[in-house]
Amino acid sequence: MAKTTLGCEPVVGTLTPSKKREYRVTNRLQEGKRPLYAVAFNFIDARYYNVFATVGGNRVTVYQCLEGGVIAVLQSYVDEDKDESFYTLSWACNIDGMPFLVAGGINGIIRVIDTGTEKIHKSFVGHGDSINEVRTQPLKPSLVVSASKDESVRLWNVRTGICVLIFAGAGGHRNEVLSVDFHPSDIYRIASCGMDNTVKIWSMKEFWTYVEKSFTWTDLPSKFPTKYVQFPVFIASVHSNYVDCNRWLGDFILSKSVDNEIVLWEPKTKEQSPGEGAVDILQKYPVPECDIWFIKFSCDFHYNAAAIGNREGKIFVWELQSSPPVLIARLSHMQCRSPIRQTAMSFDGSTILSCCEDGTIWRWDSTVTP
Amino acid sequence: MASKASAIKSDPSKDPQVVEVEQGSQSSKDIISVIDSLKGQVAADRCSSIKKRMEENRQKLVGITNHLYNLSKTRKNNVMTEKNVDLLTKRQTDALGMLNGLDVNNGEKDNSSFQEEVHASSSVLLGTSSGSKSAVCPIKLPEVKTLPPYTTWIFLDRNQRMTEDQSVVGRRRIYYDQNGGEALICSDSEEEIVEEDEEKREFGDSEDFILRMTIQEVGLSDAVLDSLAECLSRKPSDIKARYEILLKGDKDLLCFKEREAEDDPKTDDSFLDKDLDAALDSFDNLFCRRCLVFDCRLHGCSQDLVFPAERQTPWSCTDEENVPCGPNCYQLALKHPSTATASSPVHDAFEDKPIDSPVSAGACISPRKKTTGSFVGKGQKSNQSESASSNGRNMSESSDSEIKPREGSPSVHHSPTPPRTKLVGKSGVRKRNSKRVAERVLKCMRKRQKKNVTSDFVSVVDGCLRPRDMKLRSTSRKENEDASSSSQQKVNSPITRKSRRKESPVPDIQKFLSVEAHDGPSEDIKDAPRTINEDISSKEEFVDENIYKHELAGDKSWKAIEKSLFAKGVEIFGRNSCLIARNLLRGLKTCAEIFQYMNFTENKPSYGSGDGANSLVEGHSKDAEPRTRSRFVRRRGRVRRLKYTWKSAGYHSIRKRISERKDQPCRQFNPCSCQSACGKQCSCLLNGTCCEKYCGCPKTCKNRFRGCHCAKSQCRSRQCPCFAADRECDPDVCRNCWVGCGDGTLGVPSQRGDNYECRNMKLLLKQQQRVLLGRSDVSGWGAFLKNSVGKHEYLGEYTGELISHREADKRGKIYDRENSSFLFNLNDQFVLDAYRKGDKLKFANHSPDPNCYAKVIMVAGDHRVGIFAKERINAGEELFYDYRYEPDRAPAWARKPEVAGSKKEESVPLGAGRAKKLA
Repeated sequence: MAKTTLGCEPVVGTLTPSKKREYRVTNRLQEGKRPLYAVAFNFIDARYYNVFATVGGNRVTVYQCLEGGVIAVLQSYVDEDKDESFYTLSWACNIDGMPFLVAGGINGIIRVIDTGTEKIHKSFVGHGDSINEVRTQPLKPSLVVSASKDESVRLWNVRTGICVLIFAGAGGHRNEVLSVDFHPSDIYRIASCGMDNTVKIWSMKEFWTYVEKSFTWTDLPSKFPTKYVQFPVFIASVHSNYVDCNRWLGDFILSKSVDNEIVLWEPKTKEQSPGEGAVDILQKYPVPECDIWFIKFSCDFHYNAAAIGNREGKIFVWELQSSPPVLIARLSHMQCRSPIRQTAMSFDGSTILSCCEDGTIWRWDSTVTP
Repeated sequence: MASKASAIKSDPSKDPQVVEVEQGSQSSKDIISVIDSLKGQVAADRCSSIKKRMEENRQKLVGITNHLYNLSKTRKNNVMTEKNVDLLTKRQTDALGMLNGLDVNNGEKDNSSFQEEVHASSSVLLGTSSGSKSAVCPIKLPEVKTLPPYTTWIFLDRNQRMTEDQSVVGRRRIYYDQNGGEALICSDSEEEIVEEDEEKREFGDSEDFILRMTIQEVGLSDAVLDSLAECLSRKPSDIKARYEILLKGDKDLLCFKEREAEDDPKTDDSFLDKDLDAALDSFDNLFCRRCLVFDCRLHGCSQDLVFPAERQTPWSCTDEENVPCGPNCYQLALKHPSTATASSPVHDAFEDKPIDSPVSAGACISPRKKTTGSFVGKGQKSNQSESASSNGRNMSESSDSEIKPREGSPSVHHSPTPPRTKLVGKSGVRKRNSKRVAERVLKCMRKRQKKNVTSDFVSVVDGCLRPRDMKLRSTSRKENEDASSSSQQKVNSPITRKSRRKESPVPDIQKFLSVEAHDGPSEDIKDAPRTINEDISSKEEFVDENIYKHELAGDKSWKAIEKSLFAKGVEIFGRNSCLIARNLLRGLKTCAEIFQYMNFTENKPSYGSGDGANSLVEGHSKDAEPRTRSRFVRRRGRVRRLKYTWKSAGYHSIRKRISERKDQPCRQFNPCSCQSACGKQCSCLLNGTCCEKYCGCPKTCKNRFRGCHCAKSQCRSRQCPCFAADRECDPDVCRNCWVGCGDGTLGVPSQRGDNYECRNMKLLLKQQQRVLLGRSDVSGWGAFLKNSVGKHEYLGEYTGELISHREADKRGKIYDRENSSFLFNLNDQFVLDAYRKGDKLKFANHSPDPNCYAKVIMVAGDHRVGIFAKERINAGEELFYDYRYEPDRAPAWARKPEVAGSKKEESVPLGAGRAKKLA
């Protein structure tokens, strides 16, 4: 990591909980023996704000958070291939608003499940290796993007089952891609990061006609003229180790490596000369004992707070947009000791879910309404 | 900041020097406290700026998330109108109902568990888990066959050289072992990693601020510098240097502001201000002269410029000669005045001009050009390519002769010596001539101008140093001679004119050279060529002035780039102002203007060297060293030329190889820039490669590969010298190997060697077989053949990134761990890596008993890997070839059965007598 020069130091949050909000465990669920790698609320459709899904092993399970800490199982899907191990999931939806669940894992096949009909909608074969993250475009939720071990990021249209773009090649990642995220407002922009220690920002503006074409494509998906996007608009070396999670916070980027902290930085891209630019590291959110890779954080709908688990089963809830950052709460439970791979914050942040390597799901509810 | 700065400044500043001397420790404390307070201020500024930016970002984000929220709500409404039952919604309501039911039934239980929860007890509530879990039966997702793993790769139809950002040398790399679940650092040892700290850090704005304010307050002294250096963790000398820069910057800024207030900058066309070399800089840097493309990925940008010793003959225009090229054509422009004077012979004379213009153009440029030019002028316009080849010997001879400055030849001595008397005589002739053709007003005018020019020269030159003087005098003589000859045009027969012309430029150049040679040793002038150039330029100024004064209206002064373009135009098109105007000076000069300028410069004998047009002369004066690239824009994407350093102790990763001979890799070819037949200094010769058509040396070079003369063998056996040397035939070099274009409707080249078709150009022409990618019968992916082929048929090329051996060693460390390597040894400098870029043949698997073989072939100066059929292969068969791993490093699966078992390394004879020589 480049040494920060004087006058460019980031603001580092202190680890003293502000007690702004307090959470307590209201439920604990043992889903199975296999590790759970991902959990996510459905933010795509307002009806399902209290519906979440988890993946682990070859299972995808849909739950509902009810009043009083109750978790109800709604649906459960099992891949017939026992060797499948799902790593990631994302909620999406069809053009007509049918809720889709998109999951991917070690097999490299993206499963699009139509939860409205409880059937598999499509399976995307194409990635050459395991899939580390899938994210949905919030403005056009039938577009999903996937990050894979095959060093590529791919944009898919879940409605038509088309692989629209492949972000790889001359300027692409040089190792596994671990995380990817859509810009919340700039529909053309995505950020990806991975084992090559870089964060890359890509623009699909020049390729947008292909994205549009993918909605009206009637021929076989394999005949679609999939395009390679070889050059990112920006390459940032913010970390010196694997970067396993990145999210946009407006025009800033939150990213984390294995350095026990989440870093908020501003990419200063130059429109004239793509690929060049500077990074201004603004804030740091320390997360102790978070030095193993593949731990992902999550934000509530309005990006007010982020929750992240650590290697020892503790959760840190940070207020994202205050300066200096404020630690909202530090959640720990005696029996929760295995690494938390991912958390999920509900729409307003009042519920935090965490999924652990030992196959448990923990539900934390805010005791004080904000 | 400004207000704070002034606040600090308001402190009554003591004399820092005195303070330091008297109370050293005290002052250093002061200094540190000042610096600390400044630092605090910077930090506070930073905090508030971050706060501000966070707040701005937050405001923006609120709008965005609200928009998203509304979107998600509309989705809800959309579906409400649908008739289809949404199962997720149904389950949701079911669960809710069940919960309510449970609440009624098990209310107590819930409550009790909540109680427990408050105590954070061990028994955690699972709500309705028992009930709903049993109700939900898992839905099976049907199995989909997975793909064999691969890394996303880009198709390459030709090799590319690695760009700098792809290098892994000096970078930290971590390899994650899937099975072991551990991450390993696979980068170089620490000392090899480029220390980023050692790179000079730029001073940030805030550092500048602290620096400036501290010095402003406590003054500049060593103690201050030391404490500043300590606080900013830099060297005191750096601090001082920076401060000086800052001071200077302030001044510059002030000046700049003043200037800006005074006048607004001119909006000049920057391109037109440059000279041709500068304008060509990007061309020189970005255009690949071997592949004839810009931004060549194979040979890279900023290649060494190689200029062929042999020049091409100027373009000979055949059909358009008498057709005016446009409203501003010189023919029309000339017709007007001539029709005004109404004299038909005059008209004829002018009509005459364009016909012999190539002659004089050639004459002007070089003796060689002159010969070919006259050749063309006589109307023997044969096929250019033919004439080029047949004249090849002549040309090279003449160019050879050009190279040696003909100091000893009598003509040289003759040229500087003819003194004024001759000049006078000539001018006398001229006068007479002009009298005789007095009716030609225009001509007359021009002559007079010429006279003015020459007299100007003489007068200026008189005051100059002797050698220069002499030279200029001779040039003026020449000018007059030319002038007179042109004025005599109508009188003399064309042949005599030609002969005159022929003579004039030859001594011209010789004179130039000789003057240069003579000037060299003279004490008066240190840098002969420079002075000459200066002379010329000064002369040009005069000329320009004269043009300005005397020429007809509308003749703007010529910019440097226009002159250079014109000179290039003469080089390419000869003295054809129509073509030059159309192709090089469109929008800048009209044909008539060019014609005028051309006649004018032609009469000015040394125009060539002055304009840089006579590149032969210029080239020869310089060709001792290859032309250096001008120092202007250096574009991005330069290919780093790593000096190949072979580390003998280095570990070599697994690579595919062609050759079983261990220590005889092919040699990478780099064109030499020799301007004469290659001698011992030739880089090709030193490197052990043949010279190729891309070298600067003439075709007669002894080191050139001469191609083949095969007539019947179709170049498919070792009888063909090309084939035997593992080279493809080259239609530019080989006598009977030719390439047809298109479907023949545009005409085919005359066939040679009775319908002979060369079969040794398949890589060049990309005559490859269709290869399919599929699941291998052995493991992972495999390459398959679509159509059946015969033995030794060319199947396709193994393309990839060209990387250095050093780079390959680094990359190989990771590839070896992953047990999949796409490295392929190409030659002594490069290894092909098809890992991320390549073609389908990279998926062809290894077999000890393969049906294909790979071969490194030299194709037009580049080594390339071709895959050939070892035997007859049927359609749909999978392709295998022997990777020829170095035996002690071959992965277990690649070892031949015999070898795999035994560690003993010795040659194991195998079928087809292909013994693997083990090292």
